[in-house]
Amino acid sequence: MPLKDKLDMYKGVETVWGKIIPEKEAYKYALRQISSFCANLFQVMRILEPDYEKRTEAICEIAYDMNMSASSEEYLNSYYDEWNIPEFCERSSWLGAIFGDSGDEYENMAGRVIQFTRDRVEKELDTCPWDIVGSELCNMTTAMFTANFDLCSVNNTENEVSLNMCEARGCGDMHCRVVAERRDVFNLPKQGWLDHMGTPARECHVTPRERMVKEGQLLRNGVYSNAFGEEKTLEWAYRWVAEKGWVWSVSFPLVAIRDMASSDEEFERIFKIVFSTAGKNAFIDPFAVEGMRSWLGVPREIDDNDGRLMGGYIKTQLDTQLVPNELVRFDADEVRIKVQPESFNGRFPMAPIDELTTGFEALWHNMVKTMVSPEWSCWFEGKDDDDMFIIVGKKIDKKMI
Amino acid sequence: MLFKNDQAARAQHNAVRTNIGWYKWTHDLVEVKGKDAAGFLDYLYVNAIAKAGIGRSKYTTMLNDAGQIIDDVIVTHIGEDYYWISTLYAPQLIAWMDQKKDGRDVTYQDITSEVDMYAVQGPNSRALINSLAAAPVDGMKRFMMIDSVIDGIAVKVHKSGFTGEEGYEIYCAMSDSGSIRNAIVNAGKALNAVELTILEVYVRSLPVEKGFALRQDLYGLSPYEADLDWSVDLSKNFAGKEAVLRVKEEGSQYKLVGIEYEAESYEDIAQRERVYYQGVDVGFVRAAIYGYTADKNIGFAVVESSKVPIGSKVTVGENRSPAKIVNRIWV
Repeated sequence: MPLKDKLDMYKGVETVWGKIIPEKEAYKYALRQISSFCANLFQVMRILEPDYEKRTEAICEIAYDMNMSASSEEYLNSYYDEWNIPEFCERSSWLGAIFGDSGDEYENMAGRVIQFTRDRVEKELDTCPWDIVGSELCNMTTAMFTANFDLCSVNNTENEVSLNMCEARGCGDMHCRVVAERRDVFNLPKQGWLDHMGTPARECHVTPRERMVKEGQLLRNGVYSNAFGEEKTLEWAYRWVAEKGWVWSVSFPLVAIRDMASSDEEFERIFKIVFSTAGKNAFIDPFAVEGMRSWLGVPREIDDNDGRLMGGYIKTQLDTQLVPNELVRFDADEVRIKVQPESFNGRFPMAPIDELTTGFEALWHNMVKTMVSPEWSCWFEGKDDDDMFIIVGKKIDKKMI
Repeated sequence: MLFKNDQAARAQHNAVRTNIGWYKWTHDLVEVKGKDAAGFLDYLYVNAIAKAGIGRSKYTTMLNDAGQIIDDVIVTHIGEDYYWISTLYAPQLIAWMDQKKDGRDVTYQDITSEVDMYAVQGPNSRALINSLAAAPVDGMKRFMMIDSVIDGIAVKVHKSGFTGEEGYEIYCAMSDSGSIRNAIVNAGKALNAVELTILEVYVRSLPVEKGFALRQDLYGLSPYEADLDWSVDLSKNFAGKEAVLRVKEEGSQYKLVGIEYEAESYEDIAQRERVYYQGVDVGFVRAAIYGYTADKNIGFAVVESSKVPIGSKVTVGENRSPAKIVNRIWV
């Protein structure tokens, strides 16, 4: 039997040191990084607004408004066509639920639609990459679901359902569970923003631990298949989350969080402090650096006080987040990576987030202090130009915070 | 997702198996007219549509140029040069027709919003239709459509359905839908007919037990891989014929089979969950549902037929749920 001509080809991200991170792992990693940025942002929010109810209501309102304005009738109609949702299918809870289910699976929120009827929809999740953020975000997602249901309502104005996230993994529950029940059928009241974590009218079905899944359909099966059998590939979903994951979990709440500060300067000051703290803590444990070296395939020739550790790490972050970038210098003195602010901040071009530059600069500048050594810094040059440079180098600054 | 202990679903399922269940269901409906209508449909579909007399219908698949199923439909010969196509995907079908029309004298349009349909299914469904409609249906054959009248409203009664039981479909103008519904409700009371409200009961639980697949289950397979050999008329030309002939001659690697799950429930199994034989990936799931007559979790899978003959023990998904490959019919 002749030998095969070559190895089979699979997609992956190659690190600076030639280690291949498979597509599925890169996708999962990128999701968690978006979630981590969101978690840092929510710490900013908690400093700016100490009252849980007030801040939760604020992000709910903005997420609802943004979701409503982002989803025109034309957008929804194209969604129906894309998913081949049959014309007999009554709008209302059905379609709102399909909308939500697809987004869950794209973002590796692994779970299942337990019930899918005209009167009641129950969705259960076993995992959620955003489970580190906090229940304000869980509440906020119910506001986004409310927008989905409103957009899909029969009368095109207001939805017909009571919506409850009665379990949330971010709150310590075994599952996340969202139940939509038709208000007229179950005699339920219309809800306010903070009423969406109550108990549904009808009993839920709880999947036992042994039948829970660890990954969403895209990682398990390579495709997501909806109720009507239409499918999306991992490649498609990866691209989708690399754009829209930032929009709903960072861009939407950011609008409200900025308004919680007394001024832009106050917001920026607290924002940088929080991201700096997160950066310093990321590699405080020495074994974290060892784990990273192994993951990126860093050779032993690169010693512990070499800025290329940080540079290689940043390059992999950019690649796994699908951000176009070019390595223009990578030696023992300096790492210089060229990116474009347009794509670095505008992951979803319609909703650029300038705070990505501010946040990652604060995060990485402080991260390098513990990952490598305090001799090293990370800073961005050309923030207002077409090309921006992310630099890892040695710098002395007597006021270094 | 349906569970064994769902009493509402079980009651609706059993109504169809033992008496009468009815539901409002309008497939997308495409109307085709013109001198070349029969010839055009004969080219689009694998079955011999042109041989269907007026008032008769045929089940058929539609193939792409690679010989793979892209739709499955019922085509009904309504009148002279006049057909209805019952599909779940009218916009896609029309786009495909546009590609294949090729100067033929034929027109087609999506009439889904103009026509409504009620399905009346079950061993006593004939009695309900006879009590409702002016024209008796005792002599009707399967896949036959007649004109009739219900409470003074013109309807078409089609002997067909998707449950595997004797059943009828009542087509009416959308504007008459409420009146027809009331008539069914009123006539159904005396016969204890049950309205089905749980989609998965009449789209999945009932049909899967009888081996009836949705387009999504067949999509991408050849008719030979889906045991639909009987529907392919090789004596005529049709889109995808050349490719499907190759599949027929070379034999197919995959086959749509039945799968039975041993576990009480199937929460960890999605529509594309991987199927493993002796730990090796041999295919994927297409459907999973509880069958209330079979009283087990059942479904369809596409597997490498040479590796997993009927009776093979397999596992499904990352939790390695035990299952068995079986013939695609349970009841």
